[in-house]
Amino acid sequence: MKFLCTDCDTAMKFKDVTRPEQGSVTALFECPDCFTEIAMYLNPSETQMLKSLDLKLGGTNEAAQPMQLVRSQLETAKGESMPDMFSAENSAGEAAEGGKCPFTGVISDAFQEDATPPEPTGPTWTAEALERLERIPAFVRPMAKMGIESFAKDNGHDEITGEVMDAARGNFPAQF
Amino acid sequence: MKTYTDLPSDAGSNIIGQVTAQANRLQQRLTSVKHTVAVMSGKGGVGKSSLTANLAAALTLNGNTVGVVDADINGPTLAKMMGVRNATLEYTPTGVKPAITAIGTKLISMDLLLAEDDAPVLWNAHSQKDAFTWRATMEVGALREFIADTEWGNLDYLLLDLPPGTDRLPNVAELIPNLGGIVVVTIPSEVSQLIVKKSVTMARDILKVPIIGVVENMAFYVCQHCGEEEPLFSADETPDKAFQQTVLGSIPFDPKLSRANDNGTLYLGEYPDAPASKVLMQVAKKIQDFFDEKMQRSP
Repeated sequence: MKFLCTDCDTAMKFKDVTRPEQGSVTALFECPDCFTEIAMYLNPSETQMLKSLDLKLGGTNEAAQPMQLVRSQLETAKGESMPDMFSAENSAGEAAEGGKCPFTGVISDAFQEDATPPEPTGPTWTAEALERLERIPAFVRPMAKMGIESFAKDNGHDEITGEVMDAARGNFPAQF
Repeated sequence: MKTYTDLPSDAGSNIIGQVTAQANRLQQRLTSVKHTVAVMSGKGGVGKSSLTANLAAALTLNGNTVGVVDADINGPTLAKMMGVRNATLEYTPTGVKPAITAIGTKLISMDLLLAEDDAPVLWNAHSQKDAFTWRATMEVGALREFIADTEWGNLDYLLLDLPPGTDRLPNVAELIPNLGGIVVVTIPSEVSQLIVKKSVTMARDILKVPIIGVVENMAFYVCQHCGEEEPLFSADETPDKAFQQTVLGSIPFDPKLSRANDNGTLYLGEYPDAPASKVLMQVAKKIQDFFDEKMQRSP
């Protein structure tokens, strides 16, 4: 896959990738000249295919772990055969070594569904707003969520309500 | 506007580089393996795994270093047959230490990774719906890791026990471009011959992989009372005519062999004079001869 910024006629560069949400991964690409961003959504089947091939969006600088595909993807595995390849201890070790891509950790475990989502640092969502969010088609929901949160932050809202979503709606093609 | 070929890379993911790294890892591991042999049939229930386990033992007893890959990802049986089901795999930065039998044969099998006896191979996915679109890819990835990430050390022989069907052989041939040869397993029934012929065609005519020969399993039954040989099945054609291939041996059915497989004990050690043991040792010798001759032809 390659992406071209048609305005600048410049190859876009990988910027970030989200963890799967409802099985769908979102990858961001940016034009290095005009900084325009585009989002690529992989539907659950495409995300799963990428996982099955043991390929990492954005690449990786890490050496492959022994049997990393089987160990990370086999649900019915023995406990002892599934050491946490992305443990804090491992991360600390990598940090001490230095020289690793700052995105590596994110990219390496990008395919691990979040069992315990991190504490929210941005605006909180009211129940009504979350319900409306659920009505957005799954394949655009992660991007819409990011966009609404970004809009809320930019406009000084600590809480995302229906009103905030209405205000943000003009910025998005999807209806919610 | 620039075209696909004008753009220098795939935006930074380097997918080709990642795939190449996987292939290189595999090839690097295979440099310490002299000969690779796939045991296949196409037909289920003909005794591929039993033959693989016992051939591996025979080759080991003949003084070779032998590794075995249980390539039947969804129906792994070799850990039980080879008596290493309780082995715990040890992970090191450079690979996974395989299970090792009492006589030193090395094994990697999905069975060694599964949590419970009744645990199926279930892959992590948002949904198992439409899993047909990716499960085969995941299984080939698992097989690649079994071969590439196991610390085999130097091996004379690496045997791969393939599941039923003709579909796994092309995967193996792609993973191991220099696959040394194939041992085809059949039983003397027309149903088996019908299916096994398809595998022979796939190997010989499409994939161009050398066929070492055919092993006829459960070829006959030796009466324990009078010693008479009685047929268990009734194919009209003999295996050499049916497959137009060298027959490496015809192994008689022996309930003791089945029991040894269930118990994970060494049949060849317990019953070295049994007719089936003698044929198994002969088949192993013929496989060694095949590779010895091959090496003499192209040193």
